Amino acid sequence: MTKVTQSTLHGSNHEKRHILTLQNIAMISALFAMILCVLIVVNFVQIKRADPLNTLVMKAMIERMHANPGDEQLRQEIREIDLLARKAFFTNQWQVRMGGYLLFFSLLVVVICVKTIELMQKSLPIVPTDVKTDFWASRRINRTWVAYTGISIIILSMGIVFLTHQELGKNLDLASKATNPESNSSNPKEESKNASIPEGRNAEMEVNKTTDTIRKPDTTGSSGKVILDGYPSPDEVARNFPSFRGPGGNGIANQKNIPTSWDGKTGKNILWKTEIPLTGYNSPIIWNDRVFLTGANETKREVYCIDLHTGKILWQKPVEKITGSPAQEPKIIKETGFSAPSMTTDGRRVYAIFANGDLIALDFDGNQIWAKNLGMPQNHYGHSSSLIMYRDLLIIQYDQRGSGSVMALAGKTGETVWQTSRSVKVSWASPVLIHTGKRMELILAADPMVASYNPSDGKELWRMNCISGEVGPSVAYADGVVYAVNDFSKLSAIEIGESPKLLWEDSDYLSDIPSPLATGKYLFLVTSYGAAVCYDAKTGTKYWEHEFETPTYASLMLAEGRIYLLDKKGVMHILKADQAYSVISTSPLGEGSSCTPAFANGKIVIRGDNNLFCIGK
Amino acid sequence: MEEPENSSKINRRKFLSTGVRASVLIGIGGVAALVAKKAITGQTVWQLDPAKCIQCGRCATNCVLTPSAVKCVHVYAMCGYCDLCGGYFKPETKTLTTAAENQLCPTNAIKRKFIEDPFFEYTIDEPLCIGCGKCVKGCGSFGNGSLQLQVRHNICVNCNQCSIARNCPADAFSRVPLSQPYLLKQIAEEKKSPQSP
Amino acid sequence: MNKRLLVLLLMIISSIQFLNVYGVQRFPKPEFESGYMQPETLVPAARAGMLALMDVLVLVAALALVSWLVLKKRSRNLVFLVSVFSLAYFGFYRHGCICSIGALQNVTLAIFDNAYVIPLTAIAFFILPLIFTLFFGRTFCAGVCPFGAIQDLVSFKPLNPGTRLNTVLGLIPYIYLGLAVLYAATGTDFIICRYDPFVGIFRFDASFGMFIFAGTLLISGIFIARPYCRFLCPYGVLLNWISRFSWKHLTITPSVCIQCRLCEDSCPYDAIDMPVTDKNPENRSTTIRKLILICVLVPFFTMLGGYALSRLHETLAGVNGQVRLAKTLLGPLSIEQSESFEITAFKSSGKPVSQVYSEASQVLRQFYIGSWILGCFLGLVFGITLASRMITKYRSDYIPNKGTCFSCTRCVDYCPVKSDTVKSFSP
Repeated sequence: MTKVTQSTLHGSNHEKRHILTLQNIAMISALFAMILCVLIVVNFVQIKRADPLNTLVMKAMIERMHANPGDEQLRQEIREIDLLARKAFFTNQWQVRMGGYLLFFSLLVVVICVKTIELMQKSLPIVPTDVKTDFWASRRINRTWVAYTGISIIILSMGIVFLTHQELGKNLDLASKATNPESNSSNPKEESKNASIPEGRNAEMEVNKTTDTIRKPDTTGSSGKVILDGYPSPDEVARNFPSFRGPGGNGIANQKNIPTSWDGKTGKNILWKTEIPLTGYNSPIIWNDRVFLTGANETKREVYCIDLHTGKILWQKPVEKITGSPAQEPKIIKETGFSAPSMTTDGRRVYAIFANGDLIALDFDGNQIWAKNLGMPQNHYGHSSSLIMYRDLLIIQYDQRGSGSVMALAGKTGETVWQTSRSVKVSWASPVLIHTGKRMELILAADPMVASYNPSDGKELWRMNCISGEVGPSVAYADGVVYAVNDFSKLSAIEIGESPKLLWEDSDYLSDIPSPLATGKYLFLVTSYGAAVCYDAKTGTKYWEHEFETPTYASLMLAEGRIYLLDKKGVMHILKADQAYSVISTSPLGEGSSCTPAFANGKIVIRGDNNLFCIGK
Repeated sequence: MEEPENSSKINRRKFLSTGVRASVLIGIGGVAALVAKKAITGQTVWQLDPAKCIQCGRCATNCVLTPSAVKCVHVYAMCGYCDLCGGYFKPETKTLTTAAENQLCPTNAIKRKFIEDPFFEYTIDEPLCIGCGKCVKGCGSFGNGSLQLQVRHNICVNCNQCSIARNCPADAFSRVPLSQPYLLKQIAEEKKSPQSP
Repeated sequence: MNKRLLVLLLMIISSIQFLNVYGVQRFPKPEFESGYMQPETLVPAARAGMLALMDVLVLVAALALVSWLVLKKRSRNLVFLVSVFSLAYFGFYRHGCICSIGALQNVTLAIFDNAYVIPLTAIAFFILPLIFTLFFGRTFCAGVCPFGAIQDLVSFKPLNPGTRLNTVLGLIPYIYLGLAVLYAATGTDFIICRYDPFVGIFRFDASFGMFIFAGTLLISGIFIARPYCRFLCPYGVLLNWISRFSWKHLTITPSVCIQCRLCEDSCPYDAIDMPVTDKNPENRSTTIRKLILICVLVPFFTMLGGYALSRLHETLAGVNGQVRLAKTLLGPLSIEQSESFEITAFKSSGKPVSQVYSEASQVLRQFYIGSWILGCFLGLVFGITLASRMITKYRSDYIPNKGTCFSCTRCVDYCPVKSDTVKSFSP
């Protein structure tokens, strides 16, 4: 370096010429780089203004094409434009890339030239001639500048606060409290918003929205806690899983993001598994984040509340000391057990019934609200009709030997609101609540008839004699048609209305335990010995049949367009609810099961023979 | 007289600065130890979970690279080899030909090949693919979902903070171990690739 | 085949609600009769993990080499050559990722988020330059950091923007550091990576805006040397602090300063402390009174900063994805909003709204605490900057400011004193 300095000082012509060349090269490269920059920017703006891959012209032309598919000229035009667009896109990308490389290299040349010139022209350092700046004065000015900067930053931030502040934190806390499933109060604004989320396929429980009127707060004697009365809105019901076979008991779940594969052995996708102290063949029900089910043996009856997220048993309530409860144990068979009927809830209280006729209402904390005994059911297998809620009425199908009846009790007090006697034989089926578009109907199946009642007063609306034997499966309903089936009888599709008529019938596949599932287009059925079949809903044409090797007791469920078929070994077959038979997946629970699964968003709750499983993703 | 005073001043200063230096060193060491507990020796790479992906198309536009390092990947084992492929054809296509007006892919990156009646094989020409996910959406909605978006690690520069992940509405991006860098969804029965930590 | 078509058509109709059904075997895999072999799905591997170890080794080697060149060889040209190598390796070959500046955020997130796993290389990239700085000054900036190198390359005509601008702009890195730590700690974003101007140049690919930013920095870098390092780099703040206590540091003269004033204009970074010999024109008691006033005011500045920023926490948190989602859900949804990808994704996730709200309000609380701390920190920085402009140590020599000096060794070339000549003169 010293050498270079010296030679520069001597100022040889040779060196000067070199420097001049280098300067020229640097100049030209810099100019070239500048031009490239402009080109790249122009290119970029062009592509930003009209993305060749998503042009409106193309879209419009394709639409015109669909309108008249015969137009050959248009077709040709589309192809040409498409080719042009793709070419433009890829050429542009190539141009930008090449431009980038060229720019880089030209700038590299500039840098190298300038650095070389710097090295060659290295001049000796000189002593600065200017007067030293006043150290103290510059310090003072520095201080003022720092102070002013700080003040302006604070003013700026305060200004932003003033312009953008919106009490977000407070609003969020309020909203989070209002929507939190654990708090009983509900924010009406949130309510309507949540309601838009599930597109209720059978949320047509009721059309009018004049529900959830919060009546005067009432205090219960035991806990002194304020509970809200009234009944849940149809949307709230549709969002939950409040009874056997879901809202309305029709086998359709509105929940989303339902898992499709798991394995109970390896624990894959099993969120939790909780042992249930007493067995029972009733299916779990879910309200918000709580799962309810019962268990019983000869002497003990219990209600369980389980946390949906953790699987912890939040409380278990022994059902005992109920006035009128019979001393002797009911006659049952092993397949039915002492607690076959599933519970139900209206979001305020949960209700449970047992094989000896004990009926209990509990609040969400497990405190008894009321309890009674309906009289020992005269039922040679054991009572198994599940409960269902209509608004604030607890509906009980109580078809016993010699005295069939259906009744509605006030959910809050247990008082009988209406009771209608039925001349039917013993039934093990469960009531189904449907909305026909005009009104709500309660559909019951028992030998010899399928009958419909007005759920608010118990008046019979229609009946059809089409079923016989010991009826186990509940009915299915979709699109104006009720489907009823029983073993050693037949499968009937009844178009309802003022005068119901038989649409079609079939007797190739008959179930005596699992209930069928109707989607409007199809009717799916599984028999207790494990044969599944798909009918056309309107004509009864069989689309497909499939023999599973294992018997099936759980009813079919539909969720997110998939059929959930749980066989007795606990293997879930998930099928596409479609005309073609297609298995989406098969997932073993690792434990036998006879219960119908319950659904929550992102979760399935299945009761195995001994344990309750929650499956999620 | 002045000499020793100065040197003692220097000594004191030296001692002080050594002390500060030692404490800074201890501080740095402390931070290192604190985070080292959570450290993993292996490397991680970005990947997107097709199960969470909603095919919004941001992979095509948000990657720091153009074209994006996210490409459509074809899991042949899941493919139904359909003639009417939801990933290949525009929704209302009537004639099933490879003509430009029928193709869903904006860059012609899917190649359709006749295998035997009525089956067709679809392959992705990756250099052409821009990762827009249109075909993935079509295949997932109408078909088996054998077309899936994945980060291609031979292209991805593995940014410290993936700029697609930052803008992914479905939160589908995560870091996965280098040893299992793909999260392709297989048929339900088959084993799923392990999730990211 | 017709049946297939029909099935598909039906599906198109029925699947509108089930757009997110994924990975379902709607059509069974065909059994081919023509002997067609199904191709393998290719999964190209990523860069081998072992190479990350090489990055760390190159980092250590470069740090050691530059430290040796700066302190022992005192050669500007060699330091420059190493910096070009670092630019080529860490910049253009490794695409500027991972860098020490960004690793700062990984370490922060690892401290605050228990679920976050941090690669050892990130820790090494964060820690090693700090340790080297503690022993040898900011040699990392001199020749290892690719950002510094690329700016050094273009600083053709450095001008001094003046001390007051240097001081004021020099406060920006503190704000940037504070924000980067706040956003990293809350798991919101890595803003240093997001607004990294040079990484786009290294990759030959970036958004238009970032190219403009990089271009502006480089062009202004011709006249204002290393604008990013001096007026933005958040890692530089840490290096600045640590370097003040470094064991060894670059000196302008290898021996004794002869007050020749030759080096006075040599530093393009305004990092040479000039001799202070003039007496303070102000009355000594006035200065002391002012100093005491400022020292008393420092806690006030701190609290004021904390208060001001804590008011701003909702605005700051607006960047956070969870907060944004909750905010959208909270207000009445417009049609565009309810069809936005975020809302669509949220709906299909099946997550309850209450959970979104409670998570967002938790993030908001973190931001509240975070912005209090950030505000206090910034208030403190301003206060101390003010106070430090009151205290002066009288000195007679030209010495590099240990905090702001990048150890680039430019000044060394200006010093006429050579160690061997001095040696021969010394008794």
